[in-house]
Amino acid sequence: MLERLLEEVPLFFNYHNLVFIAQAMGRTLWMTLVGCSIGFAAGLLLAVIRQSRSRLLLPIRAVVIAYVETFRRIPFLVILFIVLFVIEPLMPGTSLLGIATVSVCLLSTAFLSEIVRSGLESVPPEQVEGARTLNFSALQMLLLVILPQSWRVILPPAAAFVVMFVKDTSLASQLGVIELTFAGKMLVNRGFSPVLGFGAILVCYFLLSYPLSRFAAYLEKRLAPS
Amino acid sequence: MDYTLQFSAVFDELPYLLGGAVVTLQIAFVTFWCGALIGIFGAVAKVYGGPVTSRVAHGYVVFFTNTPALVQIFLLYYALPEAGILLGPLTAVLIGLTLNAGAYLTEILRAGVISVRRTEIEAATTLGMSGLQILRFVMLPHIAKTIFAPLSNFFIWLVLGSSLAALFGVEELTGRAINISTENLRSIETFTVVAAIYVVLTVVASTSLALVGRYAFRVRAKVF
Repeated sequence: MLERLLEEVPLFFNYHNLVFIAQAMGRTLWMTLVGCSIGFAAGLLLAVIRQSRSRLLLPIRAVVIAYVETFRRIPFLVILFIVLFVIEPLMPGTSLLGIATVSVCLLSTAFLSEIVRSGLESVPPEQVEGARTLNFSALQMLLLVILPQSWRVILPPAAAFVVMFVKDTSLASQLGVIELTFAGKMLVNRGFSPVLGFGAILVCYFLLSYPLSRFAAYLEKRLAPS
Repeated sequence: MDYTLQFSAVFDELPYLLGGAVVTLQIAFVTFWCGALIGIFGAVAKVYGGPVTSRVAHGYVVFFTNTPALVQIFLLYYALPEAGILLGPLTAVLIGLTLNAGAYLTEILRAGVISVRRTEIEAATTLGMSGLQILRFVMLPHIAKTIFAPLSNFFIWLVLGSSLAALFGVEELTGRAINISTENLRSIETFTVVAAIYVVLTVVASTSLALVGRYAFRVRAKVF
């Protein structure tokens, strides 16, 4: 086994393979970052709606709660399949990468909205009451009083969630998105040893995830309420 | 674009799907408890171990938490045969998920081990409590309070995460859904029903875990 590996190593690390892996890495990162950014914005919106006390928004609030509670309880793989089968006939020609990104958005919205909500709840009610006394509008209250104080509760778990998702996007390989895992499969199918192919992919994931997880740990330490 | 949803074809297969849900729960149970066993050793090694053992435990956690379980199982399933070790799909998935769970549970349990302060153990020793009594009355309440919520969350995560076993041909919930949908071609309906089963499964699981936590460990755990 070792001789075979040593024989293949110089063949494996040629220019084309490296470019191929780098592009795949880019797609993994793209899915994660774009999906989670949109998910964060949408999650923020949902969390704010869920926190609002207006009676007008009651039906929307119910929908939001139902959405968040269901999507947090469905495996990413199943969401990927559902999104694929719904989008494929509705919008033929959508790229697989797009479909995978939409799935990431759907799931990350649900999880991140919970994270944001716990951040919003961490702001002491006196602050809100004080702002109301000063005649702040709802938007001013959110932007000037609540959000600035909740970032440090929101950011560490949100960063940890994004790190988590770098790994979960590997399931998108099942749709045929050429991200890292699928690239590994293709390299193995081209005849390279699975040890080498999947081993290299594992290292790539580690290179993506480790710095991000260190950053999340740093945020947690730096922003911890003292 | 005309498409009428027809759930009847899926509802006929409901017993088959529910059988898959049982397999899903079994995978989650096995990997959870085996992972917890690894986690206990890992946590103790990280907190009380010497420089070498704590390094090893740390390296294990860093490696497994920073790489996807799917690729780890790919390696177990496709690369080990080169070394002459053949694993069945279910075995490969179980080993991969267990190693993965062990790494996450090491971190969770470590937080529990840290939560017991040395002075409290010393105080208990001064009061003449036996080792077992210290474990039961001093350490366990602290540990339970710190780790119960993350543990039950992690169990739910495992129930959902075990769906990747389907990609290796294991016939758990998602695997059976794939089987059905290739036969009846009602993919949307099939996966919607399966998603609903997952939701029910995890709601039941987290509710019962919250009840166990409340009555056995006096931990206030949230379901939603």
